Amino acid sequence: MDGTAYRGSFRDLVDDRVDEGVFRVDRSIYTDEAVFEAEIERIFEGGWVFLCHEGQVENPGDYFATEIGRQPVFVMRQKDGSLGCFINACSHRGALLTPFRQGNARALTCRFHGWAYDLGGRCIRIKNEESGFSDPDFSRERFNLRRIGALGSYKGFVFGSLTDDVPPLEDHLGAAARWIDLLADQARDGLEVVPGSSTYMIRGNWKLQAENSVDGYHVTTVHRVFASTISHRETRDATSGMRQTESGRIKGNVPTGAYDLGNGHMSIWALHTTPHVRPIYESKDWLEENLDPVAADWILNRGRNLYLFPNVMLMDNPSTQIRLMKPLSPGLAEVTVYCIAPKGESTAARAARLRKFEDFYLTAGMATSDDIAALESVQDGSFGRLSRWNDMTRGLPDLVVGPDQDARNLGFEPAGCCPDWDHEGLFHGFYRAWVDRMEDGNAAG
Amino acid sequence: MSADGIDAGLEREVAALINREAMLLDRRRWDEWIDLYTEDAVYWVPAWASEEETTTDPDTQLNLIYLRNRGGLEDRVFRIESRDSYASVPLDRTVHLIGNILVESVEADRIEASANCIVHIYGKKGAATRGGLYDFEFRRADGALRIARKKITFIDDRLEGPIDIYHL
Repeated sequence: MDGTAYRGSFRDLVDDRVDEGVFRVDRSIYTDEAVFEAEIERIFEGGWVFLCHEGQVENPGDYFATEIGRQPVFVMRQKDGSLGCFINACSHRGALLTPFRQGNARALTCRFHGWAYDLGGRCIRIKNEESGFSDPDFSRERFNLRRIGALGSYKGFVFGSLTDDVPPLEDHLGAAARWIDLLADQARDGLEVVPGSSTYMIRGNWKLQAENSVDGYHVTTVHRVFASTISHRETRDATSGMRQTESGRIKGNVPTGAYDLGNGHMSIWALHTTPHVRPIYESKDWLEENLDPVAADWILNRGRNLYLFPNVMLMDNPSTQIRLMKPLSPGLAEVTVYCIAPKGESTAARAARLRKFEDFYLTAGMATSDDIAALESVQDGSFGRLSRWNDMTRGLPDLVVGPDQDARNLGFEPAGCCPDWDHEGLFHGFYRAWVDRMEDGNAAG
Repeated sequence: MSADGIDAGLEREVAALINREAMLLDRRRWDEWIDLYTEDAVYWVPAWASEEETTTDPDTQLNLIYLRNRGGLEDRVFRIESRDSYASVPLDRTVHLIGNILVESVEADRIEASANCIVHIYGKKGAATRGGLYDFEFRRADGALRIARKKITFIDDRLEGPIDIYHL
């Protein structure tokens, strides 16, 4: 990519002088084509990314087609129950092998010239092989599909890397694993992805979506209207039970916090004022009997957003969500959202979870649409480069390096803690990981 | 009577109501728009479950919008009129073009009809044109025809910009 190679140092784009009270990022990181090309190569195609949930590839032959960076791949459940992930292109002339985003197949047959592959990516059929490959030493093996470099699953969440030059998945997730536990462990019989999804385009940089998903500071401005709308509804309808929406966090009057989880992962939490209206509350007794009491308390009483570097967000706030992000250009990202829910929850809890999801999330919802408008506005403002920097120093005097008491109690080792989700110290970890990955090429992380 | 045995006057009445709804949305006459719906009206925009099928059961599957009564429409209007919604200030401009209106069935005071809709939208980031299939159920109350159920099969995906009641 010589034509668009970035000519400066990526380190210069993040002004990291916390000791002097400075942390700011150059606005060109949201708009620069060469920066974006390097991100695709070094971050998205150079390390671990989220692929799918195991529930989306439950049975042998189930496939899930996605992309790692720009490269099409599919995850395939094998006959022995393990997972495989392959480049989604026929070894012959490159046509995609999956007709749908998700499906089931006994073998994948290319619809262009009829070559076929088994679940393990072995080329098992070449149309008119004898008349085209008459060499007696010919073996179809040379046309087996290319496996990606690394594939792993943590509590049902599947991650992959094009390169094998990556640390073990557990090391990549690090402190964030405990936050995945809080979502996965709340389901006695495991989580499932609910049918139906929505894909929307964000006319903004992927890093703005990452920031927004764990930015507690915007909630009392951008989502003030959500809180007032819901409050109006609940007064009008005298709503009760799970049909109510938990809006204490939006009004800004509850304890909150934010974490730099290391390796670019980030999280925020806020205490629920009305935890009994949450669908998970029906499992309260089971959670308290079977889980570590601190974890049970977090699950029941704290709304949480988790961002896993670089491409997925796991939300457990008004509802439960997997938000998968694909960067397409500096100013465009594609986002697909799924509702994820405990298998076997009651019909009333499932319906309540879905209504809360539709109320808040989605570009057709009454809050996510406002988030998108806000971050698209940052994208446009980022062209105002005569004023070069975005500031991220809010809460700096209160930033805790290493774990705070909450983290020790739950058992995870964050790189930094903010005692208020209005603070911005969590972004320092994100941008430090970004600089490291951009400077090191396809190094670990 | 028309060829399919449906009263031509009723066909005209249904078409006028569907066209009127589109006009009220495009002209931001929200309160009159809400008045077209019965108190217990269901407003439903399913999500896509795959490339070819939408979701079919709102209690167990995800939707873009599923409102259980007219209050859900009022919530949307409340948010728009608050002028506090980032996505709704400035408000996108819209033009609905309705066609293919067909009365599908008539049973006493319960009438089902279908229609197609093309919505042209102009907003901060430019223009978009989207399509939807409408499935209506109407009920006659106090002599007037009201919308008791509207299902919108919104054929677009990879959506740019917000989707609210006036975009659909």
